[in-house]
Amino acid sequence: MRLIGLPELIIMLLLLAAPLLAAAPDFDRDVRPILESRCAGCHAGAKPAGGLRALDAQAVRAQGRAVLAAVSGEKPRMPKSGAPLEANQVAVLRRWIESGGPTWWSLKPLAPYRAGQSIDAFIEAKLRENGLAPSPEADRPTLIRRVYFDLHGLPPSTAEIDAFVNDRAPDAYERLADRLLRSPRHGERWARHWLDVAHYGDTHGYDKDKPRPNAWPYRDWVIRALNEDLPYAEFVRRQIAGDALYPDDPQATVATGFLAAGPWDFVGHQELRDGTTDKNLTRLLDRDDMLAATMSTFTSMTVHCARCHDHKFDPIPQAEYYGLQAVFAGIDRADRPYDDDPALHRKRAGVLDRKRQAQVLLQPLLDKVEFAASPELEEIDNRIRDAKLLLAHLGEPKNAAEAEEKRTLQARADRDQKLRQASLEKLVGAETFTSIDRHKAAIKEIDAELAALPKPKLVYAAAPFFERVGNFRPSLEPRNVRVLARGNVNAPGAAAIPGALSALPLLQARFASADDGGRRAELALWIAAKENPLTWRSIVNRVWHHHFGAGLSETPNDFGRMGSAPSHPELLDWLAVWFRDEAGGSLKRLHREIVLSRAYRQSSANRTDGTRVDANNRLLWRMNRTRLDAETVRDSVLAAAGKLDPAMGGPGVQMFWFKNDHSPIYDYARFDPDGEGSHRRSVYRFVVRSVPDPFLERLDCPDPSLLAPKRSTTLTAIQALALWNNPFMLRMSEHLAARAGSASEAVRLTLGRPPTVEEAREFGAYAEKHGLPNLARLLFNTNEFLFAD
Amino acid sequence: MTRRDFLWTHGGGLGGIALARMSAATHHPPRAKRVIQFFMSGAASQCDTFDYKPRLLKQAGERWDPGEKVELFQSNPGVVMPAPWSWKQYGQCGKWVSSLLPETASCVDDIAFVMSMQAKSNIHGPATFMQNTGFILPGFPSAGAWVSYALGSLTDNLPVFVCLPDPRGVPPNGPANWSSGFLPAAHQATTIRVGTPAPIQDLFPPDAVKFVSKEAERDGLRLLEQVNRRHMEGREEDSRLEARIRSYEMAARLQLSAPEVLDIGGESAATRKLYGADEAATSDMGRRCLIARRLLERGVRFVQVWSGADNGFPRRNWDSHENLAKDHGELGTSIDRPVAGLLRDLKSRGMLDDTIVHWTTEFGRMPCSQGSKGRDHNPFGFTQWLAGGGIRGGVTHGATDEWSYKAVEKPVYCYDIHATMLHLLGVDHTRLAFRHNGIDRRLTDVHGAPLTEIVKS
Repeated sequence: MRLIGLPELIIMLLLLAAPLLAAAPDFDRDVRPILESRCAGCHAGAKPAGGLRALDAQAVRAQGRAVLAAVSGEKPRMPKSGAPLEANQVAVLRRWIESGGPTWWSLKPLAPYRAGQSIDAFIEAKLRENGLAPSPEADRPTLIRRVYFDLHGLPPSTAEIDAFVNDRAPDAYERLADRLLRSPRHGERWARHWLDVAHYGDTHGYDKDKPRPNAWPYRDWVIRALNEDLPYAEFVRRQIAGDALYPDDPQATVATGFLAAGPWDFVGHQELRDGTTDKNLTRLLDRDDMLAATMSTFTSMTVHCARCHDHKFDPIPQAEYYGLQAVFAGIDRADRPYDDDPALHRKRAGVLDRKRQAQVLLQPLLDKVEFAASPELEEIDNRIRDAKLLLAHLGEPKNAAEAEEKRTLQARADRDQKLRQASLEKLVGAETFTSIDRHKAAIKEIDAELAALPKPKLVYAAAPFFERVGNFRPSLEPRNVRVLARGNVNAPGAAAIPGALSALPLLQARFASADDGGRRAELALWIAAKENPLTWRSIVNRVWHHHFGAGLSETPNDFGRMGSAPSHPELLDWLAVWFRDEAGGSLKRLHREIVLSRAYRQSSANRTDGTRVDANNRLLWRMNRTRLDAETVRDSVLAAAGKLDPAMGGPGVQMFWFKNDHSPIYDYARFDPDGEGSHRRSVYRFVVRSVPDPFLERLDCPDPSLLAPKRSTTLTAIQALALWNNPFMLRMSEHLAARAGSASEAVRLTLGRPPTVEEAREFGAYAEKHGLPNLARLLFNTNEFLFAD
Repeated sequence: MTRRDFLWTHGGGLGGIALARMSAATHHPPRAKRVIQFFMSGAASQCDTFDYKPRLLKQAGERWDPGEKVELFQSNPGVVMPAPWSWKQYGQCGKWVSSLLPETASCVDDIAFVMSMQAKSNIHGPATFMQNTGFILPGFPSAGAWVSYALGSLTDNLPVFVCLPDPRGVPPNGPANWSSGFLPAAHQATTIRVGTPAPIQDLFPPDAVKFVSKEAERDGLRLLEQVNRRHMEGREEDSRLEARIRSYEMAARLQLSAPEVLDIGGESAATRKLYGADEAATSDMGRRCLIARRLLERGVRFVQVWSGADNGFPRRNWDSHENLAKDHGELGTSIDRPVAGLLRDLKSRGMLDDTIVHWTTEFGRMPCSQGSKGRDHNPFGFTQWLAGGGIRGGVTHGATDEWSYKAVEKPVYCYDIHATMLHLLGVDHTRLAFRHNGIDRRLTDVHGAPLTEIVKS
């Protein structure tokens, strides 16, 4: 990766230009005196005039526009008595209102970094305030199991446990954590968390649910980015606008797979005609998904709630929702070529851009033909469609009569096709076709250039340009987005202005770019800006959530008023700033800081004084016990059975029987648990949206069509049956038995410890009577195997 | 942890403990306890079944001109096309029904017809989601999952929410139609594939697995409980550990009750005949309807029965773009006797009083032809019906225009249907909510009101 090139320079310049550095007025110091002296005479008390309390900062700001209108202008309506406000007073008021001067915790700017603090200092201070002490450190076997599941999503081997338990060096745990963070297993584990949030899948979802064979390069990119510890700001920028900001880095294009990761309405995009209500709705909802994923994931704001009206709880006007729609108005989700060789990648991009430009010239002519209409043409079209329908319904002729019917229909359709062409030429003029031919010839030449290049790789990603399929075609330039009254596609209002949220006063919320790449680049920079407090709070909270089983804010995708306020706001802010400034956005350093903390290393054992004060353990007086998530269960079973295949990357493993029908069939029951690729880690499975893997689903693996910042833990009979009877579990029980050879070794391989005397007797007797595979099955179903203390 | 959190974390799906306590979770006294829903996948036509329009007969074959531009899914409007079936009035109420569904027609006095349905999409996938979940997007819980979440179970032995898909395959969107969305996984439907060797996945070990014996199973489960109890020592406060132990007990109960409920061998010849369970044209749907009744009888809250698979060729659902007389003809016959049989059976057993029967589809079909023999999608007006569980029989609600094209009188979206269903179950649809990604989500989104006109006073 080159360090400084033109694009990087542009980024730096934009970064410098982005923040509006004018200091916002302070409510108490600057604004309150004005309101107190000039407004609170009427707008206060039990029955304030107009229901507005002048000294309620939030209320005034909520009605900011009306307040400003009342006090400014030639003859201001307010104040009712006395002279109008002075110009500089209005200006202060205006600046304060427009600054949106955040009063809400997540929107407030982050304070500068304070040295001499630590996670434990914050946690322990709060515990002391509540009369509690932290719990002692967990024992070594517990600790190594905990940190392995957490950082790798896999259990430690018996040798690793022994080595750690016997390592008496004071830095044994520290070295263990460092080793785990260096291993590629770490990226696989944490990529799965990220893919939950990104709602990644290998099929489109909806009706038909067609496979999406080129989604996986994005999944591999996430794994690699985490393993290589890509600084978080870059991690963010690449996923939103990698293609625009890093044109020399082919992998940056792959990263935009984030925007395309969600479901896609195949029928709506490919079969519906342009200009229809349902087509417009399909596109609106498609962009809505990109927008919701982007803003929820990176900023933990629920901007998607402002599609039909201003956000009911957070300072997000409806117009800004559509401003974000406009940011995504130049892309669709489609396969996009890329090359590993940067020079070739760049060259291809250049040729493709010329092709796009040629298409811009050709498209209006094609549209003229496509949307030409006359009664004659309509009649011919109806006949052609009728013939096509009947042919499709007929299928393969089963007898002579049907064969004859097919021939007749086919002949009719061919004849009508000729009539159609003649009628069309009459309508749009033969010269239209001559021009089309000329432009097509130019495109053909460009196609020849493309064909001469080596075959590219493909990734399903944000695509500003691609080959038309059916009625799915590129926009060529950003589509017009309008503010829709009540979110209704048939009630378009003013044109949307591309931009982000004005609720963050230090950042420029309106974007200047007209083109797709520029708009997305501006959003990427807005999100990844140092001055964006949401971004940095969001990521440290997300990481915290996965380490502890609960975030400091328990709603990782919602830092608004409907979300949960942080249990330790000072810690969250300090950690966000530490991560951004001191750790340089290194996620590995953040993980390290957390897993090395005393808070993380505590025992999970219950204490009556703790439950009395804080039953939900929000204060972290002990560690939380976790049930392993679906993928960790599956991977741990494979690991214990000695079958885990460590191969990394590549196309998703289809752990089901597949038939590529009109609506493809995904049948998990007809799959051999020892079939090809079936022992790979779960992160590499081919994720089907419409038909979830029933085994993983029963262990609360979330629906890949929804943004899943956290997983639920249910414990049901159906789940017990899956763990007890699923063919995968039974086959692995046999493999574990074969590997272990004895009851006590089977216990060590599953529970990471030798059996107690009592267990040795019971397990030995059971294995003797019913065979070792039955004991293996039992061990996989124990609470001890499925929970980490 | 709230009580509801506790219940759904600890086995709401088959929640034994749910039974006694959840009856208090209703907002008002319920009229109904359970629901059976028939879903005609692919869009069943209203103007060929329940929506009689003489004008279609009068102007048959003429160019169709409703006086405005019509946007169709695949085609341009063809000519006015009357139903290829005859029409007759039935029952005390005199409801017009086509000769495609004579058995259903004989039950019209128990049925409330909603003639003015509308959908927000004319594409199968989104529209099917809408009827199931109230949203045209994937990722939302289905009505059955919401009912499971709200009310819990009536039995310890069977799941709360069961889906019986068409043996020809799953409908558009697949199992996402009966998913729990963002609700805990316990609320998704348990799929029962009637007539296959293993109707419920993982209920028993596969036959191919030889090392498992009855004794190994019995001794193993006993030892497992012992091991898990010992592991709980010092961890007693963690109710999840106890819940897991209980989940194996409930699994054992399901293993006992499921085979019994799926065995219709003990049903009388008369009952089997009532459902058409032994005749080729109706046996698939007939058997599934009969099993559905057995499930409801034994305490399942919500059963969803599908007619039709995906929209592929050869046609295997109601999506009759090409040849309506043939495709609707076969499907209509296949469901008519079984559905009517279920209504009559529920009634004779006294179960219709507290069981809501809902017949639904994702949208309707156009009154004009597509090609020469088919019909295109019509999201602007179509029919659904409800019966039982406090629904007034022999009434119609709303109407389409003179073409059966657009709902013009009292238009209804699925929100009102779902609100009505919840209302009868004792649940206020505006108060049944779950916070997800910053929004308190409801089955009825931000819309809907119970259709009081079709509810018994």
